[in-house]
Amino acid sequence: MSLYLLQIFNGVGIGMLYFLIAVGLSIIFGLLRFVNFAHGAFFMVGAYLAYAVSVSLGMGFWSALAAVPALVFVLAVALERVLLRRAYRLSHMAQILLTFGLSMILQELAIVIWGTDGLHMPTPDALGGVVEWGGFIYPKYRLFVMAFTAALAGLLWWLLEGTRLGAVVRAGSEFGDMTALLGHDIPRVFMLVFGLGAALAALAGVLAAPIRGVEPFMGLDGLSIAFVVVVIGGMGSFAGALVGGLLVGVLQSVLSSVWPEMARPVIYLCMALVLLTRPYGLFGRG
Amino acid sequence: MRDTALRAADLLAAPILLAVLPFVLPSYDQATEVIVFAIAVLGCNLLLGYTGLLSFGQGIFFGVGAYAAGYAGSQLGLGLPAMLAAGALLGMAAALFVGAFAIRQRGVYFVMLTLAFAQLFYFLAYTYRDVTGGDNGMTDVPRPPIALPGGAALDLGSAPAFYVFCAALFLLAFFGLRRVIDSPFGSTLVAIRENETRAAAVGYSVRGFKLAAFAFSGLLTGLAGALHAPFLGIATLTTIDVTMSQAILIMTLIGGGGTLAGSLAGALFYVVLSSWLSAFWPRWPMLIGFLLVAISLCAPGGLWGWLQNALLSRRQPGEVRDAAG
Amino acid sequence: MDRRSFMKVSGGLALGGLPWYRSFAADADGFPMGCATPMSGVFAEIGKYSLIGAQAAALDVPEVLGKPTRIVSIDSEGNPGVAVRKVREAMQRTGMRYVSGALLSSEAIAVGKEMNRAGGVAFVGAGADEVTGSECNRATFRWSSTTYGAIEQTVRPLARLMPQARRWYTITPQYVFGDALLNNAKRIFSEMGIEHVGNSYHSLTESEFSGYLTNAMAARPDVLLILNYGAQSTATLRQAVSFGMKQKMTILMAYSDGVTQFHSLGKDIVEDVYFGCQYWHGVDAPTNKHFVELCRRNFKVTPPYNTALTYISTRLTLEAINRVGSADPAGIAKALEGWKYDGLTGPEEIRAFDHQGLKDYYLMKGKPAAEVSDPDEMAVIVSSGESTIPVEQSLCKMAGA
Repeated sequence: MSLYLLQIFNGVGIGMLYFLIAVGLSIIFGLLRFVNFAHGAFFMVGAYLAYAVSVSLGMGFWSALAAVPALVFVLAVALERVLLRRAYRLSHMAQILLTFGLSMILQELAIVIWGTDGLHMPTPDALGGVVEWGGFIYPKYRLFVMAFTAALAGLLWWLLEGTRLGAVVRAGSEFGDMTALLGHDIPRVFMLVFGLGAALAALAGVLAAPIRGVEPFMGLDGLSIAFVVVVIGGMGSFAGALVGGLLVGVLQSVLSSVWPEMARPVIYLCMALVLLTRPYGLFGRG
Repeated sequence: MRDTALRAADLLAAPILLAVLPFVLPSYDQATEVIVFAIAVLGCNLLLGYTGLLSFGQGIFFGVGAYAAGYAGSQLGLGLPAMLAAGALLGMAAALFVGAFAIRQRGVYFVMLTLAFAQLFYFLAYTYRDVTGGDNGMTDVPRPPIALPGGAALDLGSAPAFYVFCAALFLLAFFGLRRVIDSPFGSTLVAIRENETRAAAVGYSVRGFKLAAFAFSGLLTGLAGALHAPFLGIATLTTIDVTMSQAILIMTLIGGGGTLAGSLAGALFYVVLSSWLSAFWPRWPMLIGFLLVAISLCAPGGLWGWLQNALLSRRQPGEVRDAAG
Repeated sequence: MDRRSFMKVSGGLALGGLPWYRSFAADADGFPMGCATPMSGVFAEIGKYSLIGAQAAALDVPEVLGKPTRIVSIDSEGNPGVAVRKVREAMQRTGMRYVSGALLSSEAIAVGKEMNRAGGVAFVGAGADEVTGSECNRATFRWSSTTYGAIEQTVRPLARLMPQARRWYTITPQYVFGDALLNNAKRIFSEMGIEHVGNSYHSLTESEFSGYLTNAMAARPDVLLILNYGAQSTATLRQAVSFGMKQKMTILMAYSDGVTQFHSLGKDIVEDVYFGCQYWHGVDAPTNKHFVELCRRNFKVTPPYNTALTYISTRLTLEAINRVGSADPAGIAKALEGWKYDGLTGPEEIRAFDHQGLKDYYLMKGKPAAEVSDPDEMAVIVSSGESTIPVEQSLCKMAGA
């Protein structure tokens, strides 16, 4: 019995990270109606920059945690202004093509700079080791990730629901023209939101790096997860990304005890089921 | 007069091109690869270019076709026509299955659904390794000679012979597709792509037409897969995974258009470019990435005819534009 | 045909027909020796090291039958269909008849069959035993030890080393290679009275192993036997260590890439973990010492398994051609069969029965992190030996052919 509780707990842990990977994609789609196939690439870039800052430059994990999302925010904003802005008025197909091409470029660029081999990013010393409490054993670092992402989720929620910027974002996603007519600088809001979405993915990359290592194709994995979570939870929904992420994480973790071979495929099955029965996801709106 | 000259050129261009291809490319094999993928691109084009459906599931039909043909040939000992028929028909069946579910949604949800199905079919192919050979693949796919009436047999073992065979099938597929596109059925597909709501309002069963488009697409893509298996002698997981779907899509988008040149151009460009580049630089996917970025952004500029139509169709439904091709 | 389409097609043809494309490929002089390996895609790491091995061999055998050795690099892209097609093309373009390289199992089987069909020799490295087992043929040779050998030389010695470790838990990738490792392990478990307390299968695309590891911990094993490979084994081990499993049990990774994987893991994770390796640069064999020196000097790299396997496969092929004095594949295949030579693991042999290389496999243990000063020396050899699937148990049916 306690094994299943442990698996559920572990699933929540995995799920929080999945939420963080996916929430950026969800927000970007919700506001910009923009399908971003390069989202996984930002996840990867975040991990690589974390390695660069913490290991190559020797500045440690905490500096990376603070600096990398900011760096990727700037990078994403630049990309948005130069490249992606032109694609908003195009159809989803063009956006997919554009961002897909971009992800290929970024992936190969990572290999050019850092090589094909997987890189090792050590857990910060303060968070090494496990917490042991009776029969419960869990890495300190994963507990930190859970707590951190929970706090971040709270912060994001407040940002979206409690601030003026958040109100503008929400209004802009539903009534873009009206919001623009009311005097808000919609292109600027778009740009900031895109940057935020990418920065969140990069942050997920930083946090994931000590767990799964840094390698050039982790972006593909991140993208798959993000899509599944966002589809299940609902595109454009913050709560959806959270619930979707937790659901996928728990499902994966519990199945690894009950039906291990299915742990991966079941998430695509869920994705298909949700798309067929509730296409807008559990929390999404059209 | 000019019209007939143009039509003649259009009709003759195909055989001339196919005759020249193996001499321009380094080998018959590369030319065959181009042709086989060009058939798959025809299938993808029907969905994407004409019906406006971006499917990430083309790899499913290609792979099903490859495995079906491989199984028919290596396990059941059937002849080549039976192998190809098995591949094409099972490809169509798979497309009907996927399409029946996928067309319930539109836009990006449709795309996601095809992606999910692609992953699930990959998982099936990978799990049922007694049938597909799993990760090792289905080996020993034969290329049996075709029995002709009168006792003779058409031996396709040599690279030139198989190329001619595939080229003939491509022409068949192309002209067949041409007929479909030029018919009222084809016009309805375009109407659905341009403005689905209006097409439904006028009275067309949008679902029925989309499903039919899927069926044709599956048939063609399955045929391509069924040719691919005896071409290489193997049918592997890579014929059914997401990267195959991506490659077919990229070829379709590069080439564009329902013309012979379009699908052939796309397949030619991609196969040649990737072969050539990969001999120079292992990071060649980066260049493909740049190409995709360029294509997606230059589309509004009108550089690639139908691509412009397809890509802008959702945003400006009121705009009048010429038929693709 | 409208103008746009015409331009597109012309562009494609021009690309294909560019004279420099063809002259680049078709070289009049030079003896073509193919190196087929994934240079791009998810498995690009394999290709990078494999190609170095081929290039190193070309340095050691600079001339074949009077012509300069020319390595023809073929990017298999991790795709067996692409591999077969490109190999075929290279054969047509350059007259190449010999290919080596570290390939994925599916690629190796496909390329081996193609060389058999077209008339050539494929001396490949791959994990799947089918290459010299059920899919063996006259043209295919393999240097890498069988899964039989990998397990015999890791599980058995470790079990002997730790007779009190009676409970073992396995984590297995769900495909033919994983199953081969698992079945071999189960056989030894039953022979030695070890209790197999559980197994977790997982998919080939999995990167999150915490669920499986939690399950493993609940079974309270004495040894965690990791049977996956490459990036997945790195992730599994990294996560296992983060869960503090090293303190609770012994961990054995049966199939490791060796030095490059140790770099990816870092000395803290490698410490006290047991690894099974196909090759180790520290082995004191004359050919190996020469090879390691060659790689360090010319390519600035300490050779891992993929470099070693391509090097020895390429070098054996080229030397055989020179020895026999002709480039006829059937003759060279015959010359390779039964050849005993000084290899990278000591004295080695190519078994004539199934063209399988007989060589040592190593059980290694990670050194204490504090003692590691050189990142290439994170582990030491605990035991080694040669075990290959016995002829009676092999599925190879070549002998009758």
